[in-house]
Amino acid sequence: MIEEPYRWVEAIANRREYIEGQLAPGSPIATLGYRKGILFFTLGQTRQKLFEIYDRIAMGAIGHPGDIERLRMAAIELASTEGFSRSAADVSLRRLVHYSLSPVMKSAFEQIYGPPYLARMLFAEVGARPEDDLFLRVEYDGEIASNGATYARARQDFAVLSGTRQSVELMETFLKNKHTPDSSFEAAVNAALDAWSIGHMLLQTTDAKQLPDPAAIAQHRQEQLATAAIEAAVLERDGSTAIRYRSLADNELRSLISD
Amino acid sequence: MDRSQFGFDQNFSGAADDFPSLLRRKGLLGPAVTGPMPQNQIQQQMWQPTEATTILAFKFSGGVLVAGDRRATAGNTVVYDRADKVLEIDKHSIMAIAGVPATAWEMARVLEHSLQYFRRTQLQEMSVDGKVRALSKLLRDNFGFVMQGVGVVVPIFATYNGNSKPEVRLYFYDAMGAQFEATDYAATGSGSPAVRGILYYENNWGRKPLHELNEEEAVSIALRALDTAAESDTATAGVDRSGKIYPVIKIVSREGITTLPENKIAAVFKEMVA
Repeated sequence: MIEEPYRWVEAIANRREYIEGQLAPGSPIATLGYRKGILFFTLGQTRQKLFEIYDRIAMGAIGHPGDIERLRMAAIELASTEGFSRSAADVSLRRLVHYSLSPVMKSAFEQIYGPPYLARMLFAEVGARPEDDLFLRVEYDGEIASNGATYARARQDFAVLSGTRQSVELMETFLKNKHTPDSSFEAAVNAALDAWSIGHMLLQTTDAKQLPDPAAIAQHRQEQLATAAIEAAVLERDGSTAIRYRSLADNELRSLISD
Repeated sequence: MDRSQFGFDQNFSGAADDFPSLLRRKGLLGPAVTGPMPQNQIQQQMWQPTEATTILAFKFSGGVLVAGDRRATAGNTVVYDRADKVLEIDKHSIMAIAGVPATAWEMARVLEHSLQYFRRTQLQEMSVDGKVRALSKLLRDNFGFVMQGVGVVVPIFATYNGNSKPEVRLYFYDAMGAQFEATDYAATGSGSPAVRGILYYENNWGRKPLHELNEEEAVSIALRALDTAAESDTATAGVDRSGKIYPVIKIVSREGITTLPENKIAAVFKEMVA
């Protein structure tokens, strides 16, 4: 049937609808650049969603655990062999995503007799200064969204990942107003938690165009904190050690959360 | 295994693969030569171990002290007088090397990356036994070169075991990859016979056994031992009094690895050794 072009387009559209449906309940991840590094933040109850990829690169993902695992392994393999054969400074997130992951995900998505990757990923690479931080979101079809400045919009010091487009958009709207790159760690944790709560609330509704009011956000976040564990990690900006990734324990963060 | 044109295998599962075999798959590391190579051209008497250096390690009250002199030689020529033979492999492990630098440094690099690769892919630290075994495997893979008289490496490995029974662990190896756990001290390299003599003497008849020494006493014994080795071994530099070049000394403990600053070593040297 794929000999007929419009059938192929139809098959791709069906496949997109199916994958979007599968990814829709995925719990959001908020990633914020702050003065001393990059914070990855999410709440969850079951699976690990944040991973170390290389010295300065980390990843958060939602989707099927098997697919996430294959992509995570591939990313680590590519970064590690590059870092070994050249140097850690030559491992670049931009190349990893643009030249290696994205083409593979695109071709898996479009070859409709093979399985696509049921995964959506968010990568961050910490720079020497906040202006050098790079955030890349990679979709199941290989599409890449970056935080970099284009003529259409200003550079962002954060990135988010969520189950639905609407949830992503409103999380970004919130962070655009509430987050600055020179904020403290504590401020970043609270902004990330609020952004997560907004993203999580919006997974339940279908046509919200505006941010929920602050009282509703506060209530939702209180409810979720009572039942779910915080999963968080940082990429530290401090250059004294090569490995910048550090995962944070739930109780390390609870004391920083303001009511 | 079918390789994708995009640089990674879509059906890849990394669970069974260790980092050296991944590097081999990508052509970034030479093949493992586990058996002796054909010896037609190379006569047996041409083979001589060239581990021209001295490294030592012993347990003291503050952990394991690992020290190495800084001379690199090629035959009778001194090539470099600031070589660093005491290498940090991860936050709690040190590999000190005696042997051919090209092979030894490459081996340390492979080991360092292997441990990181394991931690990142498997989401847990490699166990101490796993690390010790990983180094043993690298030595074994290098055995063909050893038999050809090039590339012999004889390392010491010191690490802190943070598991059920926290303690510092110390291992030494032979060129074929056999590992031996040292109870008190280890030394390898061309100057090691003298060092072993000193450490044995100190441990049995010194003022205190090695494991009771404080940091300053431990450093002074390490400096004295290296200086003694340098007295008769041309491949060992000991302490260069005129050039003010001191051995590299690192300590592994529960807190991680401490590199002793040169002025601290110089102060101990001035007071206790010179």
